[in-house]
Amino acid sequence: MSSVLLSTQQAGPSGARPSGDRRSPLPRSRRWALGLLAVWLLSGVFLVAPDQQAVVTTWGAVTSPRVLPGLHYAVPWPVQQVYKLKVQQLRRTVMGGDVADIPLGRLQPAASEFLSGDQNLLNVRVVAQYSVSEPRDYLFQAVDVDRVVGAAVESELARRLAHTAVDNIMTTDKVAIQNDVLLAAQKCLEGYRIGVSISSINIENVAAPPDAAEAFRDVAGARADAIRFVNEAQGYANDLLPRAHGQAAQMEQAAQAYKEGKVNRAMGDVARFDAVAAEYIKAPEVTSTRVYVEAMEQILPQLRKLIVDSSGNLDLSIIGKDDSPGTPSK
Amino acid sequence: MTQQKKILAAAIAGGLLLVYLTFYTTRETEFALITQFGRPVRTVMNAGLHMKWPFQSILRFDRRLRIYNPRPTEFLTRDKKNLVIENYVAWRIEDPDRFVKSVGDTASAEMRLHDIIWSGLSAALGTLDLESLVSASPGKVQAAAMLDMLTTHADLTALEQYGIHVVDVHVKRLNLPEQNKQSVFARMRAERERIAMQYRAEGEEQALVIRANADREKEEILSAAYKDAEKIRGEGDAAATRIYGQAYSKNPHFYKLVRTLESYKKVLDDKTTIILNSDSALLKVLTQGEAGVK
Repeated sequence: MSSVLLSTQQAGPSGARPSGDRRSPLPRSRRWALGLLAVWLLSGVFLVAPDQQAVVTTWGAVTSPRVLPGLHYAVPWPVQQVYKLKVQQLRRTVMGGDVADIPLGRLQPAASEFLSGDQNLLNVRVVAQYSVSEPRDYLFQAVDVDRVVGAAVESELARRLAHTAVDNIMTTDKVAIQNDVLLAAQKCLEGYRIGVSISSINIENVAAPPDAAEAFRDVAGARADAIRFVNEAQGYANDLLPRAHGQAAQMEQAAQAYKEGKVNRAMGDVARFDAVAAEYIKAPEVTSTRVYVEAMEQILPQLRKLIVDSSGNLDLSIIGKDDSPGTPSK
Repeated sequence: MTQQKKILAAAIAGGLLLVYLTFYTTRETEFALITQFGRPVRTVMNAGLHMKWPFQSILRFDRRLRIYNPRPTEFLTRDKKNLVIENYVAWRIEDPDRFVKSVGDTASAEMRLHDIIWSGLSAALGTLDLESLVSASPGKVQAAAMLDMLTTHADLTALEQYGIHVVDVHVKRLNLPEQNKQSVFARMRAERERIAMQYRAEGEEQALVIRANADREKEEILSAAYKDAEKIRGEGDAAATRIYGQAYSKNPHFYKLVRTLESYKKVLDDKTTIILNSDSALLKVLTQGEAGVK
């Protein structure tokens, strides 16, 4: 090819313009034709970038289903045709939408509504990411691959959500749903042979419809309330029990003190009594008289006293006649 | 020379035209239907370079998978519940000959498909309860089997009548009719309220248990402490009694005297009126003088 070019270039200056027909190896029109042929042939060189793969068709039929990165050659149009694809690139398709978009009019409510197993409506937004696994199928098997992927993912999601309770969708089952939908949708797409592989299904948003959102928030609030009640009770217990222990210790100490006091006092009383008794034994009569009289001296001055003769009968009515306290009468 | 050239040029042009009319290519994405004076003679299913008679012409059909997405439609289940179903149909042309004879183009093909699927779906849904489609207990859901049957049936019909291969019929979305939604939202709210109430009640239950436990424990602690304290006090009282007993029993007469006098000091006060006999030990001396001492 390049030799053809060189020869035409050499032929150019030497056998050039005026009457060079005899000396040049080829006539002028043929040189042009050869030049065009060379350009046409050269245009078949193509480069497949590192993130790409290519498919080559010959007369419309696939002849090289997977051309890897590098420099390649294909016979130019109309014989062969090269389709390059970024196979590694993740393609994205979104189903449903955000609840926030409904009042703004960016989204019809029904477009993101899914029915849960217990017949609650939920607004769900799901993003599916996929890449090309089989360039040939991707290119030639479906009119709109994105739409096929979207439809398959959406239907598997609808089916999965239709037998899951709303609470599980919103909390524990989210990851399981993503995995299940991924597997089911992948299986479905393999049945269609459109040459894609789903790399992730991501439930980006699950929200109650605006009409019931308040009630859903209240459930979250109730859950927090329940935890708060328990914590408060725990706090009450934590406050109460140490106090009770303290009080118990206090009671015990008080009892101990009472015991000690009682014993000590008894011993004191006894010691005092013993001492006095020892003296009493030495002079019992005098001592008892002294003790008695001293006591009377202490007691009697405060009292109302009626002194009666032992011989006569006592008329008790005199007690009531003048009973104003502190003015004893005789 | 010029005459020769003209003939040559005409021959080349004629040859090219003949080549153009004889050879044709079909791409991976299409079928070709070869017609002869309007009458289909054969179909070419595989891509590549092919030949035909120059007087035959080609009709091309897109063989790729298509998604047909009918508008959401309301269906009635066996238990007379309304359900809005949005489905999609994945289909492709399978038999170009039959397709061109019966349908012709994609738009009318989708109309035919819509009729087949709609009647199949409404018949199938009429035999299922809502629970078989939407249920929180997975065992009850029969939608997949129903759709498989529907797909098979639709595929048979469509292929026979229109040359269309129905690859799949899937339910893309289950929803409730707009007019039912308000009551559904009301039910959802009521359900949430019930759950919220349950959460709060459960929280209170736990809290009450914790409080009651704490109260009981407190009572246990305090009563145990009371028990111990009283025991200690009793020990104290017993010890004191023993000490008093031991000491006083050595001299009961004197104890009796001292203790009785002691108690008089406490018992008798200024509100007490005492009637004293002039014969009593204290006053004997007062009334009888010296003789009273004896």
